[in-house]
Amino acid sequence: MIAALVLLPILAGFASYLMPRRAELTAKWFGVLIAFVCFVLAYLAYGQSDESLRWLQRPFTANFHVGLNGLGFWLVMLLTLSTACALAALRVPRQRDFVAQMLFLLGAMTGVFVARDLLVFALFWDLMLIPVFLILIAWAPGRSTATAWRYLVYNLTGGLTLLLATAAYGVVEGTTDVIGLSAGHGATAIGAAWGIWIFAGYAFGFLVKTPVWPFHTWMPDTYADLPPPAVAVVSAVQSKAGLYGFLVVTAPLLPEQMRSAATAMFVLGLVGLVYGALVALVQDDAKRIVAYSSLSHLGLILLAVFSGNALAIAGAAVYIIAHGVFSAGLFVVLGQVEEREETRLVSRLGGLDAVDPKLAGALHIMVLAALGLPGLGGFAGEILILTGLFQAGAVWPAAIALVPVVLAAAYMLRLFQHFMHGPSREDIPQRADLRPAELLALAPLVIAIVWLGVYPAPVADSVSKSIVTSDLSGPKLAGVRR
Amino acid sequence: MPTLTIPWGEADWNAILPMTIVALTPLLVIAADLLLPRSVRRGVVLLVAALGLIAAGIAAARGWGHPYAAFGGGFIAGGFTIVFQEIVIVGALFSLLLATRLGRDDQSGGAIALLLWSASGAMLMAGAANLMTIFLGLELLSLALYALCGISARATAREAALKYLILSSTATGFMLYGMALLFGATGSVQLSAFGAPASPALFTLGSGLFLIGLVFKLSLVPFHIWTPDVYEGAPLPVTAFMSVVTKAGALAVLARFAYAALPQQDVGAILLPLWIVAALSMIVGNVGALAQTDMKRLLAYSGIAQLGYVVTALAGTTSLGLRYAIFYLAAYMFMNLGAFAVVALLSHEHEEGSHLNAYAALGYRRPVLAAAMTFFLLALAGLPPTAGFTGKLLILASSVDAGYGWLAVVLIVGTAISAYVYLKIVRMMYARGVGAPQPARHPASALPWIGVTICALATLVLTFYPLAPSDVLPLVK
Repeated sequence: MIAALVLLPILAGFASYLMPRRAELTAKWFGVLIAFVCFVLAYLAYGQSDESLRWLQRPFTANFHVGLNGLGFWLVMLLTLSTACALAALRVPRQRDFVAQMLFLLGAMTGVFVARDLLVFALFWDLMLIPVFLILIAWAPGRSTATAWRYLVYNLTGGLTLLLATAAYGVVEGTTDVIGLSAGHGATAIGAAWGIWIFAGYAFGFLVKTPVWPFHTWMPDTYADLPPPAVAVVSAVQSKAGLYGFLVVTAPLLPEQMRSAATAMFVLGLVGLVYGALVALVQDDAKRIVAYSSLSHLGLILLAVFSGNALAIAGAAVYIIAHGVFSAGLFVVLGQVEEREETRLVSRLGGLDAVDPKLAGALHIMVLAALGLPGLGGFAGEILILTGLFQAGAVWPAAIALVPVVLAAAYMLRLFQHFMHGPSREDIPQRADLRPAELLALAPLVIAIVWLGVYPAPVADSVSKSIVTSDLSGPKLAGVRR
Repeated sequence: MPTLTIPWGEADWNAILPMTIVALTPLLVIAADLLLPRSVRRGVVLLVAALGLIAAGIAAARGWGHPYAAFGGGFIAGGFTIVFQEIVIVGALFSLLLATRLGRDDQSGGAIALLLWSASGAMLMAGAANLMTIFLGLELLSLALYALCGISARATAREAALKYLILSSTATGFMLYGMALLFGATGSVQLSAFGAPASPALFTLGSGLFLIGLVFKLSLVPFHIWTPDVYEGAPLPVTAFMSVVTKAGALAVLARFAYAALPQQDVGAILLPLWIVAALSMIVGNVGALAQTDMKRLLAYSGIAQLGYVVTALAGTTSLGLRYAIFYLAAYMFMNLGAFAVVALLSHEHEEGSHLNAYAALGYRRPVLAAAMTFFLLALAGLPPTAGFTGKLLILASSVDAGYGWLAVVLIVGTAISAYVYLKIVRMMYARGVGAPQPARHPASALPWIGVTICALATLVLTFYPLAPSDVLPLVK
């Protein structure tokens, strides 16, 4: 059942090539259907027992071991939901081929989050690059493929160091079937001589993928050039794979190295946090505003991951999911704006809410979630993280982290104001408002944002189930939450 | 009158049966070529050759589990030999699939015969355990190839053949001189008698010269310069054949020499240059491939790097390393010959589909072919879900395990560069608006589709079932 979550979309991706090329609408709804089926399957498969098949016996034991629980479960839910919504809400040229690539991407990323073996994790980690690369070369605007190369070079280098670290881990430990285990529960902490190199290999892969400053330079171009449904999924889920990796792979398996790297990671996270927010303030391209805001928000999550505080880590889990939902929503709405107005530049747009009130309403909700309005998903994550940071004694980082959280309001409202308010622009086309189907596609994302805002407990608890926070110093989650 | 007795018995002849079949099939091929009418000639010739190879493959497989040192230890039959012989046979079979246009009509029989004789030389090398048989196999392999390289009507063909002849003969000279020194140092031609050389300095020098000859055949840096020119000039099936079969033969000799001949205490010192050569090959091969505009040249450079990966697996001469070298060689065979089969399908009457322009927008013109090519290129780049990924992982693990972490790092760097090389072609196939639309062409033959299908399946299956033969090491000696 869990393996089916990976195989179904990949096989369906191949199957979609059997449709005639002109069957654009059929292909689109086929993709939505498969993603939705995966969503339902994932929900039903929650907590089911793991599935495992032998892969390698020498030089170390590796199994095709998959399981669905904890944070991985929520990320699979987010992935399937955002894929279904993004495909339903938007149009792209050559829909059939695009749907096939999106389904490959869905399968590969599901593989990352259900992998319970480091080698399987590494396999899907590299595999999820390929559909994005193909989408970038075949669907990016313009003829230049520089963006695709930059995406590939950064992420593949990260993927290769991760692979080397996996091989070294297997050689040292004799097995890679260790995800979900914790020190003292089957996995043993690696000695200092190897540990630092293995950690470095993983950390580089995770930092590039997230991305964290200064490894982020592939990200704004990639987000700007990917077609809207793809960027919604990549920013919502693929960028979370790095943080997921820190929480689920390195925190339990390499706790010593996590602790010793914490200071350096705090610095990187804080620089990214402030830098991303400042750059987002002055961008003209709306997709780049959201891209740099991601850099800022993900820096905050990185602080939480390395704080060693249970409350902050619970907040990180909530914010990972919440950020996924609202960034998917933002990119979908931006895609809908671009479909209508043929531009997404802040300086070219204005006064849209007079003609397209529903579109304005949708963007409003996403923007409010992104700037952390209480009651919506973003706020729940932020407040948990900041409280946790103060509690862990990281007062200065927490104080610095507050500044970009305030700046988020500035750049997000700037985006909204320029798009929707002000006088109507005569030089842009006047098109019809959101159709019911497009509104319906956004509805699940809105519901998820509100739900995460008022009841984040299931997601917050997921870390204490899948990740052993006791490895990292700090008070226990249970004592603080009430 | 003294009676002439032959000192070899039935067991000796049985040990070389697979090789004998491959060496005798060409006679049938030539007979068929002489006697049959022109219309069916090519088809029958190919069929006879393929059947001969299949028969040899079955004969070789039947020898599994029956190790035997034939001809006074000159040829060792058994697991190690069988694995390499099967690789040679499969490589030759896939080359035959591409060989429907090899040479002019009146040349095809001779060309196929030469191809098989060359393969029998590689099969001899797979089991050769003394310097004489090694040399015999090497020359049998090479002599046929000199002629094959020059067989096409291309302007560059003769240049390629001549270049190959001269450079290869020079390398053979090095190797012969090395063999002489090895004999002088140990008093034996038998690899198994090299354990305690009387003159260690002479032995080291001899080993070095011997290895230079092998490194040339494996086309590793710095003896790789000939490879792109020869690959480009030779006809496509011959290039495909050379890229796998020659390498398999030379690698078998190299592995046997490293594992069974060298004295245990000196292995690290004598072979250190070889690991450096492997490291250089992984970098230089991939960097060299960056600038190529011809698919055959690109695959030549890529082959240099790929053989670097294979030799990396041997670093530290561990038992697992040998298994992974064989695994990667087999994986490389499938992905490389798959790519060659795609090139053959893009070829038409007078032109080999080897210029990179032929790949522009292929994803929109011939989607299935482009998808297959993408898959093989991903495999060559070591990306999942392909045998290249599993193979690289195994090599990484074995070199880290053997204490050659630096080689693992070089392998990672080389792989990162190679991704650009291979994915550049993927980009050409799928990017929009690159190149003019090509006129519809009829492929020369549909036969390579068989190769594409089998290679793709093998590359996928080997990812998840990494069959590395388990009992090869005891049978090296």
